[in-house]
Amino acid sequence: MSSDTKFHVHHDAPEVVGRRERLGVRILIVADASFVFAMVFSYFYLRNLNTNGGWIPKDGHTFSVASGWVVVLPLIVGAILHKIGQRNLKTIGTISIITLVVYLYGLYYQIHQIMNMPFIVKDTGGFEGAYASSWVLIAGANAFHYIIASFLALGLVIRARRANVDPTLEKWRMRTAASWFTWIAISGVICAITTGIM
Amino acid sequence: MTTLSSHVSSRPIPNPKNSLITKLNAGTGLIVGVVFAVATYNLLKGENEDPGIAYNIHNRALLAAMFMWSIGFLVGIGAFIGPWRWLIGKDLTAEEQLYLAGDGQGIKRYFKYCTDHKVVGIQYLWGVITLLGVGGAMAMMIRTNLAAPGGHFITASVYNSLVGLHGITMIIAMIIVATGPFGNYIMPIMIGAADMAFPRLNALSWWVLFTAIPVLCSAWFLGGIPTGWTAYAPLSIQAGPGMNAFIATIIIFAVSTAVAGSNITATVIAMRAKGMTWNRVPIFVIGATISVALAVPAFPTFMVSMIMTALDRTYMTGFFDANIGGSGWLYAHLFWIMGHPEVYVILIPGVAVLMEIVPVFVRMPLFSYIGAVVGFAGIAGLSILVWAHHMYMSGWMPMLNGPFMVTTEMISIPTGLIFLVMLGTLWHGKPWLKLPMLGVYAFLWNMLVGGITGIYLSDVPADNYLHGSMYVTAHFHYTLMGAALTGAVAGLAYWFPKMTGRMLNERAGYVSFWLIQIGFQVLYLGMFTAGAEGQPRRVVNYASQFATANRISTVGAYLVGTGFVVLLWAVVHSWRHGKIAPMNPWGAKSLEWTVPYPVPLVNFDTPPVVTSDPYGYGKAVK
Ligand SMILES: [Cu+2]
Repeated sequence: MSSDTKFHVHHDAPEVVGRRERLGVRILIVADASFVFAMVFSYFYLRNLNTNGGWIPKDGHTFSVASGWVVVLPLIVGAILHKIGQRNLKTIGTISIITLVVYLYGLYYQIHQIMNMPFIVKDTGGFEGAYASSWVLIAGANAFHYIIASFLALGLVIRARRANVDPTLEKWRMRTAASWFTWIAISGVICAITTGIM
Repeated sequence: MTTLSSHVSSRPIPNPKNSLITKLNAGTGLIVGVVFAVATYNLLKGENEDPGIAYNIHNRALLAAMFMWSIGFLVGIGAFIGPWRWLIGKDLTAEEQLYLAGDGQGIKRYFKYCTDHKVVGIQYLWGVITLLGVGGAMAMMIRTNLAAPGGHFITASVYNSLVGLHGITMIIAMIIVATGPFGNYIMPIMIGAADMAFPRLNALSWWVLFTAIPVLCSAWFLGGIPTGWTAYAPLSIQAGPGMNAFIATIIIFAVSTAVAGSNITATVIAMRAKGMTWNRVPIFVIGATISVALAVPAFPTFMVSMIMTALDRTYMTGFFDANIGGSGWLYAHLFWIMGHPEVYVILIPGVAVLMEIVPVFVRMPLFSYIGAVVGFAGIAGLSILVWAHHMYMSGWMPMLNGPFMVTTEMISIPTGLIFLVMLGTLWHGKPWLKLPMLGVYAFLWNMLVGGITGIYLSDVPADNYLHGSMYVTAHFHYTLMGAALTGAVAGLAYWFPKMTGRMLNERAGYVSFWLIQIGFQVLYLGMFTAGAEGQPRRVVNYASQFATANRISTVGAYLVGTGFVVLLWAVVHSWRHGKIAPMNPWGAKSLEWTVPYPVPLVNFDTPPVVTSDPYGYGKAVK
C-alpha cells in the first residue's frame, strides 16, 4: 500500500478493468438485442396479419432485397477489419481509419436510403402501409448502430496516436469494441434477412 | 476505470485545476437543458393549413424539445465529459476521478454528476420519495372523486389523466424503489466492493432518470393523457399533446434502466469480495440482480412500442393504424411482453429485502437459500411466457388462451417456494418485533391475498367476467403496493441507520405502519367488492349500487395517505434529529454492518475476505 500521506489512487489491474468493461458492454448488447428482436417481431407480425391488405404499399414500391444487403455490408466489413486490426496495437490506428471510413459510408448510405424512400404519400408525407413503417424503424436502428460504431472507431483512431495509454487496458478495449462491432454486424444480417422477406 | 482508496480522512479536497468538471452541476444542467429545449421547439414548430399535418408538426416539435431537454441537461451537468475525453484520448486523470467521487464536497455533491454509489443511492431515495408523493397525491384525488357516486369533484378528462399519470408515476417509482436506493447505496457494500463497476454510468443512470421527471410532469400542462398508463393504441396516436410527455418519459426511462441494469449486473458478477462465492451472496443482492437482469431485456420492447407510437404521431407511419395495415394488437403484444416481467422487476427486489430481514430478526439462517434463489429465478423465467393473459378478451387468438393460462398459473409454484422459505425461516425462530420485521408479516398476508386473487384473473372463464373491473385494480395493488412497497419501506427502516447514521423514529414508524396496513385492507376490501359486483375501472362515475363499497375504499385510502405522511415526517425528522445509530444496530452478519457511518469513500479500509454466508445464526431447521 502507498505511503503517500495525502491520498493515493489505487488502480485495479488493467486486465480486471478491461474484462469488466467488456462485460458491461455485453450486457448493454443484450438490451440492444431485445430492441432488435422487438422490431423483427413487429415486422413479421404486421406482415402476417396484413390488416386490410395494407402491408405492401399500394403501387408496390418497396426496397429491393439487394439494397438491404448493401446497407449492412459495411457493418460486416467493419467487424472483420477490426478483428484483423486488434491483433496489433501498432497498426490498429491505421486500420481503424479504414474501419471508420467504412462505417461512415454505411451511415451515409443508410441515411440516403431514408431520405429517398419510395413509399411516401406525396401530398401528406405519410407512409404507405405497414411494410414501409416497419422498414423505416429497422433502417433507423441500423443508422443508430452506425453512429455508435463510428464514434468508437474515431476514438480508436485518435487514441492510437497517443503514447500514454496502458497497452493492456487498450487491448481489452479493442476486444470490448469488437463485441459491439460483431453484434451490429449480426444484427445487420438479421435486419437484411428480415426486410428481404416482403 | 480506477478505484480510489484512502488512508487519511483529513486529506485535502482534490481540486483539478482548469478542469471543466469543477464548474458543472445541476444548475448548469438546468440552464443548458432549458436552452436546448426552447431552441429546439422554436426551430421545429410551424404552421400548416392541414390540421392533420399541423398535429404531426406540433408533436414533432414537442417530442424533440423533450429529448433535447434531457440531452441538454446531461451536457450541462457534465455527463458527456468522460466519453468526450475518451474520444480525444485524454482520459480523466486520477485527480479528476477523485473529484467526481465528490468526497469532502458536502451537500453540494448531491447536485453534481457524482460517481460515489452512496450519493447516487441517496439521490435515488429522494427521487423515489418525490415520485411516490406525486403519485400518492393523484391517488388521493382519484379516491376523493370516487367517494360518492356522481363524481363531480373532477371532470372526466382530468380523471382520465389522473388515472393514467398516477399509474405511470407509481410504476416508475416502484421499479426503482428498492434497486435505486438500496441497490446503489447498500448493495456494493454488501458484496464487499469499493464502488459500482462503472461509477460514471451509475451517475448517468440517476441523472437520466431525473430528466424524465419534469417531462412526465409536463403532461399536465399539455392537456394530460387519455389512455391510462398502458397507453393503448390507437387511442394513443389520436391523443393530444400530453401524450408526447408520456412517450418521452418512457424512452428516457428505458435508457436509464438499461444503463443501471447493466451496471448492477456487472457489479455483482465482477466486483464481489474475495471469498464471496455465489452461495454466499446475500439474498437481497441475488433478488436485485435477477430483477435488473430481467429489466434489461424487457424494457427495450416497451421502448420500441413507444418509438412506434411517436412515429405514428409525428411522421404518419402506420404501425397501429388499421387503415394502412397497422394493428392495435401489435402494441398490446409489445407492451405486455415488457409489462408482465415488469411486475416481477418490481416485486422481486421488495421480497428480497424482506428475505434479508427475516433471518436477522428471528436469529435463524434462511430456511432454504437455494429455494429462494430457485424461486426468484423461476418467477423471472416464467414471467416472459405469460404476457398474453392481458389479452384473453382482446380476441387476438382465443386458442392460445389455454396455454397462457397454464404458464400464468405455473407462476404460483415458484411464488409458493418463496412463501415456504419465509415461513420456514420464521417457524422455530423467536421474532424480534422491530419495525423492519413488521413488514414481513404484512407482506405474507398481502401477497397471499394478491396472489390468490391473481389466480382468478389468470383463469380464462373467471377473467371473462372480472377483466376491466375494479377487481383487477385491487388485485395488482395488493401485489405491487401490499407486497413490494411494504418490502421497500421495511428496507428503509432496516438500512436507515446505515444510510443516515441515525435510527428511524420507532414510534412514528409503528403508527405509520398500522395506519398504512389497516387502511390498505379497508381500501382494497371495498375495491374487491365493488369490482366483483361489476364496477368498471378507469371510469369517473359509477352506479349507486357501488356507493357503500366505494365509500369504504375512500376511508381506507385516507388512512393510507395519513400513514405515509407520518412516515415521511418520521424520515425527515429522524434524518435530522434521530437517535445516533450504532454501527450494527440489528446485530446482522452481512458486510454493510461492518463499516462505520459515514461510510468511507471506498467503503472498506482493507478489502474484506468472506468465509461464510451471512446467515449463520444457528442450526438450520431440519
Ligand atoms: Cu401479467
